[in-house]
Amino acid sequence: MEMLLMGLCMAVFGVGVAAVAFGAATRSESSDSVVQPQLPLVKAAVPARFFSDHAAVTPTVPPVPPRQVPIEVLLLQIENHVRMEQAAAEVFIAFPSEARLHSKTTSPFVN
Amino acid sequence: MTHELLNGLTSAEAEQVLRLGTRLMVPAGTELFRLGDPADRLFLTERGRIRLTMPMQVRGREEDIFVEEMAPGQTVGWSALIPPYRFTLTATASLHEAKVIALPREALHGYFAANPAAGYKIALNLAVVIGHRLQLSQTMWVREMQRTVEVRSA
Repeated sequence: MEMLLMGLCMAVFGVGVAAVAFGAATRSESSDSVVQPQLPLVKAAVPARFFSDHAAVTPTVPPVPPRQVPIEVLLLQIENHVRMEQAAAEVFIAFPSEARLHSKTTSPFVN
Repeated sequence: MTHELLNGLTSAEAEQVLRLGTRLMVPAGTELFRLGDPADRLFLTERGRIRLTMPMQVRGREEDIFVEEMAPGQTVGWSALIPPYRFTLTATASLHEAKVIALPREALHGYFAANPAAGYKIALNLAVVIGHRLQLSQTMWVREMQRTVEVRSA
């Protein structure tokens, strides 16, 4: 009789332990399923880096306004452009052809 | 010194024309005439260079933009012989002092009336000067327009 009661207690205890283990396993699985889908997204957004696997925030560089050349430089560029165009026009006048009329200029002012 | 305006004239005729004028020294950077001024004198460059400019708005400021530079022997200010006798450009001596001969319109007209053969040659030479400027201007204009068309249709 004592042996029977001891066996019964052991069975009840085993069922309890199994239930607790099942519950813990089920709870951890459900909480992981919420977090895990976000990880691949974060990784995909970060560019590959040497020696670093951190999903660091990309530094934002403030936009730099285009630097204006001094007006003296600009006027000189215009003058050089006019001189180059005049030379091209002189060549066309001396030897008129469509190719010479529409020859591409190398003037940095328009390139 | 040979002047393009006097091509084909005998040396005696050329001398007669030059005697009509006054030699002027134009210090570097000094204006010979300004756009809009009454044009009553034509200039023959003898030494130095004369810059021709036109005003243009650059960054909200009016700037004299380079158009052409005239070398010794070339003619400046032919508006003096073409109505409405107003300069359409500004002329300034370049980096160095320039020397020019100023020929008054009235004196030239008188000479042409008295010497029609020489006047005819001068008129032809003037047509060459003006024609060349016209050809240059229209070629440069077409090239600029071509670039604008390419940019707009790109």
